[in-house]
Amino acid sequence: MGAWKGFVATPAGKFIVRYVIVLSVGFFILALHPVNDNVVNPYTTFVARESAAALRLFGEHATVTGQMLSSPRFSVAIYNGCNGLEAILIFVCGVVAFPATWRRRLLGIVGGFVAIQVFNVVRVVSLFYTGIYRPQWFNVSHVFIWQSLVIILAVVLWLAWVHRYAVARADR
Amino acid sequence: MPSPERTDSLRRYLRRLPVAAIVAAVVWVAVRGFYNPALCAVTQFVARVYEVPAATLIMSKDSDALVGRSDLRADSGWLKVPLTEINFNLVPFLALVLAVPRPFAGGAWRRLLWALAALVASHVLALLWESKCFAAFSLGAWSRATYSDLARNVYGALRYFFEIPVTFTLPLLLWVWVYPERVFSLVGLDRLKTA
Repeated sequence: MGAWKGFVATPAGKFIVRYVIVLSVGFFILALHPVNDNVVNPYTTFVARESAAALRLFGEHATVTGQMLSSPRFSVAIYNGCNGLEAILIFVCGVVAFPATWRRRLLGIVGGFVAIQVFNVVRVVSLFYTGIYRPQWFNVSHVFIWQSLVIILAVVLWLAWVHRYAVARADR
Repeated sequence: MPSPERTDSLRRYLRRLPVAAIVAAVVWVAVRGFYNPALCAVTQFVARVYEVPAATLIMSKDSDALVGRSDLRADSGWLKVPLTEINFNLVPFLALVLAVPRPFAGGAWRRLLWALAALVASHVLALLWESKCFAAFSLGAWSRATYSDLARNVYGALRYFFEIPVTFTLPLLLWVWVYPERVFSLVGLDRLKTA
């Protein structure tokens, strides 16, 4: 008990406690019906539209209906869990919980959000073509490869932000 | 600017991460052949511990779990749960761990075993809540007669919690828990003074 109290008093301990609290609150808010209906679903549709725009750059006749991304060659539905929000939440909560100025946090949140968005569009486009050319690999690629990569990306972005912006002042 | 020493250690870590991810993926592919049936068997055992009659059936088929009940007709419905969606987080966890220099040194293997046990327990619980939700929501009149609205809400919330928040965040939290000093020294948090 004493060791735990000692750990919680350190910057690392405070960060862990803050991170778990912010993360729990974040996921709780995302699970609420009004948030799901008014934020998560429209955001998922936005991801589908971004992906359709990217696919059109490659000559696909991609259209979006709700959260369904379709072309004459393949269709894929983007659900909660595939929209990148979890990675964004892992990263943003890590940024918010870390001791830094709000200006640096804001910089990190905007930069990380954009990076994860771009990564997620690459993921959806890649899965779309996997579905067309290697449909037997779709499920493994969808869950095993891309979901793992998205978690690792969130951690790497957080490490990079902390390293470059948040703790930089301590080394000066 | 961050100190050159800290920059080097972070760069080394990030350089090791892609290789570690590949090794982690190979380990996952190698173990899932016996891990999936074991996961189904343990979850079935846990589900039956507190149910009367003990009728939950969870069987492993290819990379899926088939969930049903032995006290209902054979054609009353089975749920197919892709086990990859439950246990894929072993890959990012192992990748983060294996990218740490000398990951088993200094007694870290003990914490690593505990962390793996926690990850396995989270897989068992995730599959358990899937099976409870199947029984509570998907078996028509039997579900409505057997489970209250409160039970359905609790199982639904637990399923969401283990399907998304736990699955996605546990690898990161366990990695930090196994190597607190090394992770915080990697990012430089050990250099900040206690507020």
